[in-house]
Formats: sequence, C-alpha cells, structure tokens
Amino acid sequence: MIAAAVAAPSTLAGGANVIAVGVLLAEFGMFRQALLRDQVRLYAAQSALLSALAIVVAATRHLPELYALAGLSFALKAVIVPVVVRRLLRGIGADGGDPRWSDIAGSHTLGIASTVLIAIAVAAFGFFTVAALGIASPVLPATALSISIAVILVAFVLMIVRQDVVSQAIGFLSLENGVSLTALVVAAGLPLILEIAFLFDLLVVAVVFGLLIRVHHGRAESMSTADLTSLRG
Amino acid sequence: MQGRTGPRILQPYYDLAKLFRKEALAPEGSSWVFLAAPVAAMVCYLTVPLLIPVLTTFGLPLGYMGDILGGGFILSLASFLVAVAALDTGSPYAQLGASRAKTFGAITEPVVLFVVFTVALVTGTDLPYALAATVRSSAGQIIRPAHLLAAAALFMVILYETGRIPVETHTGTNEFGMIEEARPFEHSGPYFALLKWGSAMKQLILYTILLNVFVAPWGLASSAGIVPVLLAIAALIGKAALLGVVVSVIDNSFAKLRLFKITEFAAAAFLLAVLGVFTLYLGGG
Repeated sequence: MIAAAVAAPSTLAGGANVIAVGVLLAEFGMFRQALLRDQVRLYAAQSALLSALAIVVAATRHLPELYALAGLSFALKAVIVPVVVRRLLRGIGADGGDPRWSDIAGSHTLGIASTVLIAIAVAAFGFFTVAALGIASPVLPATALSISIAVILVAFVLMIVRQDVVSQAIGFLSLENGVSLTALVVAAGLPLILEIAFLFDLLVVAVVFGLLIRVHHGRAESMSTADLTSLRG
Repeated sequence: MQGRTGPRILQPYYDLAKLFRKEALAPEGSSWVFLAAPVAAMVCYLTVPLLIPVLTTFGLPLGYMGDILGGGFILSLASFLVAVAALDTGSPYAQLGASRAKTFGAITEPVVLFVVFTVALVTGTDLPYALAATVRSSAGQIIRPAHLLAAAALFMVILYETGRIPVETHTGTNEFGMIEEARPFEHSGPYFALLKWGSAMKQLILYTILLNVFVAPWGLASSAGIVPVLLAIAALIGKAALLGVVVSVIDNSFAKLRLFKITEFAAAAFLLAVLGVFTLYLGGG
C-alpha cells in the first residue's frame, strides 16, 4: 500500500451523498433532454430526490420539522410546479398539441458533448472552491455542500447555453433546487416558517415565468430567445 | 425477447466448430501480420484472467504482476493487433472499422483512466484484488457515491467495448454503423473462429472485471480447495448470465445511436467517472 486510502463515509453519509450526486446528475441530464415535457419531468424527479434527502437528514439528525418541509417541498416542487408549467405550455400548444413546439431540439448553441465538458469544468470549479473554503457542517458531509454549489453553477450553464424560454425557466427553478440543497446542508435548523415562505416564493416564480413565456410566445411567435438579440426600432 | 425464438444457447460453439473445419484464405498482398494477429490477440485475452480475480479472492501466482492498467494495456494491445490486421487486408470496409474503433477508443480511454483513479483513491493501490476486498469489507464502501459512479461509468465503457446497442448493433450483417464488428471481415476459417472466440472471451473478461471487482465480488473461492472453486465457477456463470440479461434488456429497449452521437454517450460516461473522482477529493465520497 503506497498512499493512504480515502476512508469510506458511514453508510448514512454515503447514502446522503449518493442522493446529492443524483440531484447533480439530474441537472446534467437536462442538457440531454430535447423535449420540453421531459425536462419538466426531470425537474420533478430532481425535486423528489431533494425531498428524499430532507427526509434522510430529518431521520438522522432528529429534526422533526424537516419532515413537514420535505412533504411540502415534494407537494409543491415535484407535483404542483411541474403541473402548472405543463398547463401553461399546453395553453400555447407547446406540449404535444402542435408538433412545432413539442420539440426544442436545435436550441443548443453548442453540441451536447461540448456542453457537458464545459459544465464538468464549471462544476469542478465549484467543487474545489468550496473545498478550499473548508466549511464543516454538523448535518451533512462537505461533499453534499460542494455538490450543491456545482448544481447551482451547472444550472447557470443550462440557462446560458439553451436558447429557449422554457429551458431557461427550468434552469432557474432547478437553480433554486441547488439553493435548497445548500440550505439543507448549511442551515438545516432554519425556522420552518422561513422555508415555507421560500417555497411559496417559488410558486410565484413559476407563475411569473409562465406569464413571461406566454407573453414572449405571443410577441415572437416562437420559444427561442434568439429573436430578442436584434434591436427593433 | 423480440417475440422470436432464439438459436440454441450453444450455437456460438457450433459456429466455432464449423469455422475451425473450414479452410483459411488470406487476401492477396496481405503479409504475415494478417495471419499472426488473431493468434496473438487470443494470447492477450488468455493472459488477462491471470491478473483479475476470476474465481479466487487471493491473487494467483502471477496475479500481482500487473494492475488494472496492466490488464487494460493487454486488452488494448489485442484490439490494436486486430486493427493492424484489418488495415493489412486493404479492404476498405475492414479499414473503416479499424479506424473507427481506434477513434472511439481514444474517446473512451479517459473514462477508463478516471475509473482507475477512483479505484486508486479508494484503495490506495490499483490492484483489482484490493478493490474487490475493499468492496466486500463493508456496506459503506458499496453505497459511497464514488464507487457507484465508477461502476456505472465502467458499465458504459463495457457496453461500448463489447459493441452493444447504444453504440453499435451486435447482430447485424453489413451496415455502415459498424465499428468493432467490421474488423474481421476478411478473415476466414480458423482465423475468423479465433477472432470470434476472442471477442466472446473479451466480453466475459470485461463482465468479470465489472462483477468481481466492482459490483458483486461475492461468491469467490477463498481457498484453493475443489469445492469452493466449483462453487465460484457456478457463481461466476450465474452472475455473468444475470449481467447478460441486463445487457440484452438494454439491447432491446434502446435504438442505436448515430455515429456522431457516440461522443454524447462517451461524454456521459466521462461525467460519471469525473464526478466519482471529485467526490473522493473532497474526502467524503
């Protein structure tokens, strides 16, 4: 044996880390999804993973109010927000009705492989920055914190690279998932009322985005933001 | 599967027996390399099992001679020899396959490297026996994200290396999307049989690495007695058959990727492997 092996974390910490990695992988998966409804579905899955993580933390750290938070965030983020977004999309024929809008393939400014490589580099930056800060959390291992920062940064990449309004909205919503993950790691004992206030903010965000999507679609007759780059006199 | 009755389970062996009885033809102008390559590749495939835990938890006499990288080098030497033989024929089709196999091999190589890094960080060494022993040691070692990510990345590489569905169709006849399967086009008779047998052996070797090193290193013999070894043989066959079922479900539920989309597949595998190393570097993975 030459170098010291990296010791394995406890089973629970390992499980929590696996769920956090799942959240990050869902974020990467959004690059691959070409269909709008698949993207919304992936967002719902990501939110469900986050709720599962909250339950794990609640069970291991004996924070009973986190159970309520997990249930509420599952109801809002994995059920209500995706339903609202899909409703809004159906309203403008984006979801299945009109084949022209059911597919957003071609909204990539880069190829998927290059996008993923860029996102890996950005995520690496997030990982090692947080590692350099040396924050130790009593609730979750440091890996989960770095992963949450990586989720936020990758969500930015998604919003920058994709050129359609729905992807950008989903990117923003999943960015909020990254922030929730950070909150879960750093401040799991945050008062419940604050968390709930954030969650309802999210509902407002979803409605505002829906409104913006509809206005944009009404004006530009397309979901692409490429039309917005040229000025109109 | 596919609503059809398949051939008998021993059909590949009947094919081999038939091919061994046929005469061998070499294309005009090809050199001794063309005939030597199948034999040399077969030798490579026979060497690798000495280095990996196939049936026993302890190393075979030469088991510590090479690590995972050593085994990987021998496997890629075999693949290189087959590619050289394909180039030697002068047949455009075999050359196309050889060139593609080498190109995509260069893309999947970083994934393998990062998987080896993960193993090295987890165990402090990169001997396959050491990782298998580490995985057996506790549940915490199985559920840690680095291990799961590395195993998933290796599985994707194996799908590529054995020419399975998201990358190429395994059972097709002539088609343009072929990579690995196009290389032995000009070989015939016993040489072709050796190549076919070699690729089947390569598949079993890769399955063994995935199963006995990463996913399920249980059921190996811990002593050299006849009974534990027989049990280990049965366990290996059972595990490999299970993995084969998983692979054939994947075979039947996905479409083949377009040739230029294979980079996306490789990028996904690379992502998994890199994340494994990242989580390890933070100490908690």
